[in-house]
Amino acid sequence: MAKTLMRFTGVGGQGVLLAGEIFAAAKIKTGGYGLKTATYTSQVRGGPTVVDIQLDDEEIYYPYANDGEIGFMLSVADKSYQLFKDGVQPGGTIVVDPNLAHPSDEDRKKWKIYEIPIITIAKEEVGNVITQSVVALAIANTMMNAIDKNVLIETMLSKVPAKVHDVNKKAYELGEKYAQEAMAKAVSA
Amino acid sequence: MATREIISTGNELAAIAAVDAGCKFFGGYPLTPSSEVMHVISDLLPKVNGVAIQMEDEIGGICAVIGAAMAGDRALTATSGPGMSLKAEQLGLAQMAEVPLVCVNVMRGGPSTGLPTRVSQGDILQSKNPSHGDYKSITFCAGSLAECYTEVVRAFNVADRFMQPVIVLLDETIGHMHGKAELPTLEEVQAGIVPRKTFDGPAEEYFPYQCESDEPAVLNPMFEGYRYHFTGLHHDKNGFPTEEIETCRKLIQRLEDKVALHEDEVESYEEFMMDDADFMIIAYGSVSLAAKEAIRHLRAEGIKAGLFRPITIWPSPAKKIKEYTDKIEKVLVVELNIGQFHSEVQRASSRLDIDGLFKVNGRPLSPYEIVNKVKEIL
Repeated sequence: MAKTLMRFTGVGGQGVLLAGEIFAAAKIKTGGYGLKTATYTSQVRGGPTVVDIQLDDEEIYYPYANDGEIGFMLSVADKSYQLFKDGVQPGGTIVVDPNLAHPSDEDRKKWKIYEIPIITIAKEEVGNVITQSVVALAIANTMMNAIDKNVLIETMLSKVPAKVHDVNKKAYELGEKYAQEAMAKAVSA
Repeated sequence: MATREIISTGNELAAIAAVDAGCKFFGGYPLTPSSEVMHVISDLLPKVNGVAIQMEDEIGGICAVIGAAMAGDRALTATSGPGMSLKAEQLGLAQMAEVPLVCVNVMRGGPSTGLPTRVSQGDILQSKNPSHGDYKSITFCAGSLAECYTEVVRAFNVADRFMQPVIVLLDETIGHMHGKAELPTLEEVQAGIVPRKTFDGPAEEYFPYQCESDEPAVLNPMFEGYRYHFTGLHHDKNGFPTEEIETCRKLIQRLEDKVALHEDEVESYEEFMMDDADFMIIAYGSVSLAAKEAIRHLRAEGIKAGLFRPITIWPSPAKKIKEYTDKIEKVLVVELNIGQFHSEVQRASSRLDIDGLFKVNGRPLSPYEIVNKVKEIL
């Protein structure tokens, strides 16, 4: 498998970091290399946060994703979306929560942009806003086909307390469903 | 060598390493981007009958560590640049009184409070001389996740060997990056522990600071029947203050010589694709990761670049650097400061034509910036 570069962006406190750790750990479990780096500001809550995820079969040296090479970005905050979108390669995939990030018409020509209300799904359909990072994880993996789904879910469950396993499984399934629907819609359109 | 695989961050690995190396005490104050070292060790130490204390400030943190080390424990503190500035005076005391301890500094942008969450390598020169006076610092710099572990383990053994503080530099990138580390097994680490020397003769014949001119003091743990005195003043063989001319001279010369004459014991570096290199990049810490990636690109284009990476920063591997700079014309030092190690490479090589690529805006240096700089020089 070729190198996969993903970037999750939001604002501090939303929990976008966890998805990166899960991706990296799952890739390592399958015998490859995974690396997650996060960049945040001294404004810990509310400042723009970016998480770079690199998955590769070869050893990864440089821990950040190079701007212009990123294949997938997910954003749940407009200021981070605007700040980091240019790292995505032309034609790359961007998923935004349409209530929180607002791509321009020009952006839509440059990248494949999908709108999925991630926070609303977590809050209202899963029933726990914290599960947004798992919804995001599922969307990213479904769109990028990065890691064997079962390995990813197993890794995810190993990082959350047993009492919330069911709710997180549900979050994954919903994320996957919304991602598949969004992709199907784009194809038919 | 048997290994084990841990998926973690550099800061967490540094904390695990300390505990595996027999550290029983942590004193400190949480400071971005080093805080996770304290968080993790606060969880681990009580499980091995150790103690972790959040002190009132950075100074209190290192003071408590010095106390624990005087009592005989392996002790750790962790901080970042602003904390190093505050700890400087006590690092001087530990040099003078010959108290072994390990201080992890996860570097962020400076000076002053600088850029708390951003990467930097601005503390290279500070780690050479954090405090006033003459002494010979020992500083290691981790260039991978695994080294956040192995260099902390080595630091504890070296601190006990030379009876002085050892600084381990991480930087924000290495401290926070999360991935796979291949580590030596716990059994291997424990088998490699070399505790500090002790004196077991009669108490009346014990003079802790009476040692060979190139050897460290022999400080028995306190409360075991051996009496002596600790001070930051110039002191005699018992540790009591003195201004006797020869005693003062010999003491400071010994602090220098105990390391200077045994540099081979602490020297450590990595040579990456140096065998046939006709362009040498010198980098350390997280920047060396970008340099390795850059070398991959350069080699693919037929440019024979290699990396020399000092792991022991102080004393610097000056002889090895000179060996290379004598035969390789094009040399580029890449670092996240304005040439702090570059000046050391100039000194070691006796050359003023060493190139530099520096960055001080809190952002990492990308492999492409290095590739472009190399091509500009060629």
